[in-house]
Amino acid sequence: MSGPRRAPSVLCMVTEDSSGKTVVRLDGVRREYGETTALDGVTLEIRAGEAVAVMGPSGCGKSTLLNMIAGLDRPTAGTVLVHGEDVGRLSEKGLALYRRRRIGMIFQFFNLVDDLSALDNVALAAQLTGTPARPARRRAMELFEELGIADRANAHPAVLSGGERQRVAVARALMNRPALLLADEPTGALDSRAGEQVMDLLLDLNQIGQTLVLVTHDEHLARRCAGRLVTLADGRVTGQHTLEPSA
Amino acid sequence: MRAVWRAARAAVRRRRLQTLVIALVTLTSTGAIVVALGLVDAASAPFDKAFGEQRGPHVVAAFDRSVASDAQLARAARDPGVEAVEGPFPRATVALPRDTAQYGVFGEVTIVGRAEPGGEVDRLDLWAGRWATAPGEVVLNRQSDWTADDLGKRIPVPSGPTLTIVGFAFDLSRTADAWVAPSQIDALHPAATQLLLRFSDASSDTLLRERMGAVTARLPQGALAGSESYLTLKHRIGAAARAYAPYLSAFGILGIVVSVLIVANVVSGAVISGFRHIGILKALGFTPGQVLAVYLVMVTAPAVLGCAAGVFAGNLLAAPFLRFTFTGPDAGVFHDSVGIPPWVNVLALLGMPAVCVLAALAPSLRARRLSAARAISAGTAPRTGRAPGVQRRLAGSRLPRSVSLGVGLPFARPGRSALTVAAVVLGVTTVTFASGLATTMTRFGNAGRDAYQVTVYASTVRHGKLVEPEHSDPELHSLLSSLPGAAGVTARGDVEVTVAGSARKAMLEGRRGDGPELDSVLTEGRWTRRAGEVVAGTAWLRQSGLRVGDEVRLQKGGRSREVTVVGAFMETNGELLATDWATFTALAPEEKPIAYHVKLRDGTDPAAYARAAAAADPGVGPAITGPNTITQTVVGSASALTAMLAVVASLGVFNTVVLNTRDRRRDLGMLKSIGMTPRQVTVMMTTSMAALGALGSVLGVPLGIWGYRQVVPRMVDAVDITLPPYMTDVWHPAALTALALTGIAIAVLGAYLPARRAARLTIAQVLHNE
Repeated sequence: MSGPRRAPSVLCMVTEDSSGKTVVRLDGVRREYGETTALDGVTLEIRAGEAVAVMGPSGCGKSTLLNMIAGLDRPTAGTVLVHGEDVGRLSEKGLALYRRRRIGMIFQFFNLVDDLSALDNVALAAQLTGTPARPARRRAMELFEELGIADRANAHPAVLSGGERQRVAVARALMNRPALLLADEPTGALDSRAGEQVMDLLLDLNQIGQTLVLVTHDEHLARRCAGRLVTLADGRVTGQHTLEPSA
Repeated sequence: MRAVWRAARAAVRRRRLQTLVIALVTLTSTGAIVVALGLVDAASAPFDKAFGEQRGPHVVAAFDRSVASDAQLARAARDPGVEAVEGPFPRATVALPRDTAQYGVFGEVTIVGRAEPGGEVDRLDLWAGRWATAPGEVVLNRQSDWTADDLGKRIPVPSGPTLTIVGFAFDLSRTADAWVAPSQIDALHPAATQLLLRFSDASSDTLLRERMGAVTARLPQGALAGSESYLTLKHRIGAAARAYAPYLSAFGILGIVVSVLIVANVVSGAVISGFRHIGILKALGFTPGQVLAVYLVMVTAPAVLGCAAGVFAGNLLAAPFLRFTFTGPDAGVFHDSVGIPPWVNVLALLGMPAVCVLAALAPSLRARRLSAARAISAGTAPRTGRAPGVQRRLAGSRLPRSVSLGVGLPFARPGRSALTVAAVVLGVTTVTFASGLATTMTRFGNAGRDAYQVTVYASTVRHGKLVEPEHSDPELHSLLSSLPGAAGVTARGDVEVTVAGSARKAMLEGRRGDGPELDSVLTEGRWTRRAGEVVAGTAWLRQSGLRVGDEVRLQKGGRSREVTVVGAFMETNGELLATDWATFTALAPEEKPIAYHVKLRDGTDPAAYARAAAAADPGVGPAITGPNTITQTVVGSASALTAMLAVVASLGVFNTVVLNTRDRRRDLGMLKSIGMTPRQVTVMMTTSMAALGALGSVLGVPLGIWGYRQVVPRMVDAVDITLPPYMTDVWHPAALTALALTGIAIAVLGAYLPARRAARLTIAQVLHNE
């Protein structure tokens, strides 16, 4: 399967404008797990339409940083503002609604529900917000067509290839038109060819205005998809560079 | 071996909740099994156990002393069919005055001259005092739940000696009302000689008749004055216990099946959920045998501890439970013969761990065969979607998605879901069965309860003396009617009559006054309207082979009266007939009422009335109508067992949800990451169990009703009664709906806490671990 190198129409779904406003602001964010400090006073801004790659050695706090922005975890100290909303102060229900409305998340190991078909995995994200099954499936199918996996819509995750599973995961992440797409090692579990396809997809999404935060070990991926590189070490931001797009 | 032990200990520490659940489930299940098996054992043959312990005589035979000598009887008893014999004992019948009633003996009593309470046959339980060894001493036959305060009291025998009570012995076979030393018996003029015989084969009445024929063939004609087989005794005194037997056995079997199923469910689930761990152990170099050992140790260690604690708890619980169950006017004789037999404890201690090992073995062997790579990936590699059609239809349904996801969850683990449904089915069956039985028993116990609230006996015992009323019968009747609060008074007299053409005796009750039906519940026909009519207890009718409409001649002394049976009332006493006062006094003109049953006006305090009655005539003994002990027993034991089994069933469901939650950690984390709220997670997990609970109810309710219809007719047959339809018509739409909700309630209660726990899972941690 070859990846689509085009600006997919149905993917132009970003609800916020992309005029360079600050979407994410982390201010002195600290996260401790017992004796271990995963993040140690991280301050960072991400603007609308930006594609930011976060890199660093294992255990440097990359995934913790992503979890803070996604509302999957709360800071021990400091604030995480997304669209002006202090994520750390939201209730559990508030966090769930925040993830629904603002965030699309892509994981290294896809995290699909094994018992649902690919189409129902994607429709699920909309159905949780109360969208009826039929329109949810219709939109999921549109995404499948744009992502080139329409013929796999009724397959279950167990029979999909790694690349196909990650495309399904991307479709699910885009289902509710999130303001922010977060990807944690999105190509980490894929072979090089499937990895390239996912990279192309993320690049296309960013080109049509999707704000993207990408955690990766893969410098090639970072250079392909991101406009800015943030490096972390021992829970601290050690550098930020603008990246030149690679071929 | 050390590595196995260390790995098993580490696994137990890591799975604290699961270990606790296994220990709790085995503890509760083993406790329930110990109680259930104890009940089954006690209920299966209560008479046989007590009879066996006393080596009771298969036949109690009385011989005419003027026809057969003791030597002839001793020779006759050497017949090859006779296994053991006691006697010959001289037997006298004496008429004791009414005031000896305070000692539990009066009227015509049988006194036997016997040298010792033990022997080869009929080993008496001398539970108070000592045996009579000299003239002037007597031992009374009395159950051990009576008082022994009467020791030393004296009983004057009319035209005979005065006997001092030196002991109390209990004889299940009722071979005598009292015993004296052989040196005393001649003064009581014995007319008969008693032989107590045990035969090598005593399984039927026919065999017993043949054996007795062989014994009496060696004796002169007419030597045998009478005999009673233990089978007749068994039928007579075991009625109440027989009524319990089918119900207690059904409960016991249900308890065992529920417990074994749930233990199997919990244990196999624990092993299956540890597949990934198994893979890691293999990758570390554990041999397949060692892996198997780790898992068996991990599961059986808490199970064995749970079983041991369960046996202890079961024995603690069973002692008062069995005492409670076998307490009552007819069951008191079994007091000393019921308890948890040693085999039950041995079986529970060995059987339950064996069940656990067997339940763990099948999935462990499967894990043993898996390659390390496949075992490791068991928790993370995508599984082939199960029941795709169902999942697709649910995804497209109009149900809220958290609900449709929850309904779909059981299809993902069909084997475990089937075991969970089985646990719920058994729980619901138990609750259905028990509630039906309790309703019937409550209606049975309450039947006629509003007929009267106070019974005023026409005599009382004060300071060891029998006191008679100061008023005559008519005066007393009108006095009781005139006391404040009395709405109606019915006098009742008893007399023993015989039925012409039959050896059967009957206790005829004469009733006179405002409500002659008293608390009798008619099952057929009508109540008496005129003299010459009787209403018969159902047990008497059955045992006599008579029907409503038949005519019989009743005799008392030299008097007789033709009566028509015009109705039948629910009654377990096989000797009871009721009639109007005119018919009663026609047969026994001297008889007076023994009691007056008083119905009170609404709001009257029965205790105040009883005090007023005692004050009005110090010679009467008022008693407030108490609760029905049999109903209390059955309802109480049904409630206790139902509660125990409901706890076991809920723990099983709880465990299933815990395991499902563990299996679904990744899915739950993912669902929360895409915006599922904690409430939606709780709804999803609770719905998944509620769906199984609903299915369990759909299957369990009819099964419970079926069980009720199998057991209750056998119970009432055992005590020779017929229940009116309103007592067995217990299933109404409201009751059925409530029962159907029971299964859902069991499942939801079991699911709620783990579901809440699942809702609070930290997403980042869950997804990071993957």
